[in-house]
Amino acid sequence: MKWFRSLKTTMNLWTVLSVIFVLLVLLPNLSIIVQFFAEPNENWLHIREYMLQNYIQNTLILVFFVGILTLFIGTSLAWIISAYDFPMRRFFQWGMILPLAIPPYIGAYTYHGILNYTGVIQTSLRNQFDVTVNQQYFNIMNMPGAIFILTIFLFPYVYTITKAFLARQSTALVENARILGSSSWRIYFRVVLPISRAAIIAGVSLVILEVLNDYGVVSYYGIQTFTTAIFQTWFGMGDLQSAVKLSGTLMVIVLGILVIERIARGRRQFSFTTTKVKLLQPVKLEGPKKWYAFGFCMFIFSIGFIIPVIQLIYWATMTYEQFFSIDFWQLIWNSVSVAFIASTIIVVMAVVISNFARLNRGMLAKTFPKITILGYSIPGAVIAVGVVTLFTALDRQLFGFYEWLGLEPTLLISTSLFMLVFAYVIRYLAVGYNSIESGFDRIGTNFTEASRMLGMSVTKSFFKVDMKLIRGAIFGGFILAFIDIMKELPLTLILRPFNFDTLATKAYQYAVDEMIQQAAIPSIFIILVSGIAIYVFHHVLEKE
Amino acid sequence: MFVHIRNLAFKYPNAKDNTINDFNLTIDQGEIISILGESGSGKSTILRLIAGLDMPTNGNIMVGDHCMCSNSTFTQPEKRGVGMVFQDYALFPHMTVEDNIKFGLQKWSRKDKKNRVGEVLELVNLEDYRKRYPFELSGGQQQRVALARALAPKPKLLLFDEPFSNLDADLQIRIREELRRIIKSTGVTSIFVTHDQDDSQALADRIVVLREGEVAQIGTAQEILGTDCNFADRMPVKPRVLSRV
Repeated sequence: MKWFRSLKTTMNLWTVLSVIFVLLVLLPNLSIIVQFFAEPNENWLHIREYMLQNYIQNTLILVFFVGILTLFIGTSLAWIISAYDFPMRRFFQWGMILPLAIPPYIGAYTYHGILNYTGVIQTSLRNQFDVTVNQQYFNIMNMPGAIFILTIFLFPYVYTITKAFLARQSTALVENARILGSSSWRIYFRVVLPISRAAIIAGVSLVILEVLNDYGVVSYYGIQTFTTAIFQTWFGMGDLQSAVKLSGTLMVIVLGILVIERIARGRRQFSFTTTKVKLLQPVKLEGPKKWYAFGFCMFIFSIGFIIPVIQLIYWATMTYEQFFSIDFWQLIWNSVSVAFIASTIIVVMAVVISNFARLNRGMLAKTFPKITILGYSIPGAVIAVGVVTLFTALDRQLFGFYEWLGLEPTLLISTSLFMLVFAYVIRYLAVGYNSIESGFDRIGTNFTEASRMLGMSVTKSFFKVDMKLIRGAIFGGFILAFIDIMKELPLTLILRPFNFDTLATKAYQYAVDEMIQQAAIPSIFIILVSGIAIYVFHHVLEKE
Repeated sequence: MFVHIRNLAFKYPNAKDNTINDFNLTIDQGEIISILGESGSGKSTILRLIAGLDMPTNGNIMVGDHCMCSNSTFTQPEKRGVGMVFQDYALFPHMTVEDNIKFGLQKWSRKDKKNRVGEVLELVNLEDYRKRYPFELSGGQQQRVALARALAPKPKLLLFDEPFSNLDADLQIRIREELRRIIKSTGVTSIFVTHDQDDSQALADRIVVLREGEVAQIGTAQEILGTDCNFADRMPVKPRVLSRV
C-alpha cells in the first residue's frame, strides 16, 4: 500500500519524461554491449590476432603522453597566472582558454601546412636563406606530432579547472606556505600539486576522454588507434559487427579510466564552490622574473593560438571568394541548424532530468544524472556505432509500417538527419546537463517549495519560478552544447546523410584532399564562433 | 481538534535510524504551537511532513476534516491549503512584493486579488512597499512580506520554519510580538519551529519539546519553561542548545 502511495505521488510528467530520456541515452550503449558478446566473425579474429595490440598500444601511448604533458602545462600555467602578477596576466587569464576554440583536427592540418615542404617555414628558408632542410626534422605527421597537437589544443581543460580551484580554494594554504618562507617552486611542488590533485585529475580525465574521442588528428597523421580502426573496419571492410566489438573494447578502456579517476581522486571531491571565498592575491613579479613568466605564457599562447590562426587567416586571404559562394552559406546553414536543433533538445532533456533529480529522493534520482553524463565519456565513433545498430534494427522493425504508409520500404530513419541529431544529443547531453544542474544547485529547492506551498504544481512552479531563475544556466548550457556540436567531427562523418556537409566535415575533407587553403575559411568560422563564446563566457562568469 | 497528528514516523533514504519516531500531537483551531528542540532533533522535518514536502514512512495527519496523509493516501503540498514561511523567506527575487503576494491567489478574480493584497499588506504594515523587489527590503521587511504572502490565500494552517533565525536580536524581540498580534488577529492555526526558548515563550500557546525525533514534553510555556529566569534545571531541553538561558 505504501509502495503504491509512493509510486502515485512521484509519478508525474517529469518522472515519465525522465525515464524515457534516460532510456534513450542508454539504448545505443546497450545495443553495443549486447552485440559485443555475439559470435565473432573472421574479420574480428584477424583484427584481434594481428591488429588489436597495435591499436591498444598506440591509443595508450597517446593517452599517456598527452595526459602527462597537459598536466604539466595546464597546472604550471594555472599556478603562474593565479599566484603572480606580470605583464598581460589579465589577458592570459582567459586567453589561455582560447586554444580550445581550435578543434585539434584543424590544428593538425594547419601545423602540417606550416611545417611541410611547401609550408611557410621551409619556403622562407629556401627562398630567403637558400637552406634546404632534412624533411625528417619537419615531419609532424607521426606519433610525436599527434601528441604535440593534442597537447597544445587540449591543455586548457587542465588549466581552467585547476585555475578555478587554485584561485578560490587554495588561498589559506598558499599564503601560509609563503609566510613560512617557502620558495615558489617548493610551494608549487609541495603545496599546489598535492592540494589540487582532485582538480588536476578531473582536468586530465577530460583531456584523456577527448584523446580517445579524437578521429581527425590521428587519421590525418596516419596513426592507428581505436577510432581510426572503427572507421576502417566499418567503412573499409564493411564490417559493422567487428566495429561493434572494437567499440565495446574501447568502452571497456573508457570505463577503466573512469574507475582509475575515481580511485585517484579518492574521497576528495572536486567542486566549484559558490560560497564566499577569499581569492588568492597574486604577488607582483619584478625584474627578469616577470619576463620569464610572460615569456612562458606567450610561448604557449603563440603555438596554441596565434600561429595557427595567423596561418589560417593567410590561407583564407587566398581563398576568400569561397566565402561568397552559395555552397559555403549552405555549409553554415547545415552546421547552425543541426547544432541549434540538437542543442534545443539537449536543453529540454537536461532541464527535465535535472529537475526530476533535484526534487526527488531515492535510487532513480541518484542514478539518472550519472547515466545522463555517460555519453560524454564515450567516444563519438562508439556512439555512432551504437546509434546506427539501434536505428537499423528499428528500421527493420518498422518495415511493415513503411509499407502500410505507402512509402518505399527502405532504411528510412537510419539514413536521415534525425539519426545524426539523436547521436549529438547523446554525446553532448552532459554539457547542457552540467550547466543546468549547477544553475539548479545555486537556487536550491526553497523557491520551488514556496511556490508549491502557494498552490502551484511542480510544472507550474517550474515555468513561473525555477525557469526564470536559471535562465542564465539554460542559455549557458545551450551555447556550450551548440559550440561543441559545431566543432564535432567523428559522429558527423559517420552519421551524416548522403551529401550533407557541415563546416567541420568540409574543412576536414578539404584538408584530407590536400586542398588545405580551402579548409581555412570554414575553420576560421568555427574558431571565431567558439572564440566569441569563450570570451563571453569568461566575462559573464567573472562577473557572476 | 483541528489538527490531529498520529504515530508520525520518518526516515531519510540512507539514514540508519528514524528521524521522527511515533510523533503525536493535537492542536485546537486558532492555537499557536511551538516545536522547540536542538538542531538535528527533527523539528523542521515535522514541519516538512505537515506541509507535504516530504512523505512520512508511517502515520496520519488530519487538518480539519481532511486527511492529508495516511499509509494509503498522500495529498500534494499544493492541494493542502497549508501556508509556510521559510527560514530564508524564499521570496521570489524576480517578482515585486505585490507579485509575490499575488502568486498564491491565481484562482481569485482580479478585483479580489487586489483587495486581498491591500489587506495583507496593511496587516503587516507594508502598504508603501508593494512595488519594491525583495532585495530592496530589510530582513525584517522581507520576513513580513513572507508572512503576508503565506497569509494571502487564507490557509487553514500556517507553518513557520525558524522565523527569526535571520534577524538580529533587537529586531527579533520586536517582530515576534508583532507576529503574535498578526497571527491572533487572523485566527489562523499556526505551528512554528525554533531552537530558541524565548521565541517559544513569547509566541506560543503551547510548546512541544522535541528530542531525537520524539516528543519529550508538551505543555504551556508556564508548564515547560516556568516564569522565572532560573528554569534551566527544570527544563527537559538540554540548556546548551538554548540560546539565551
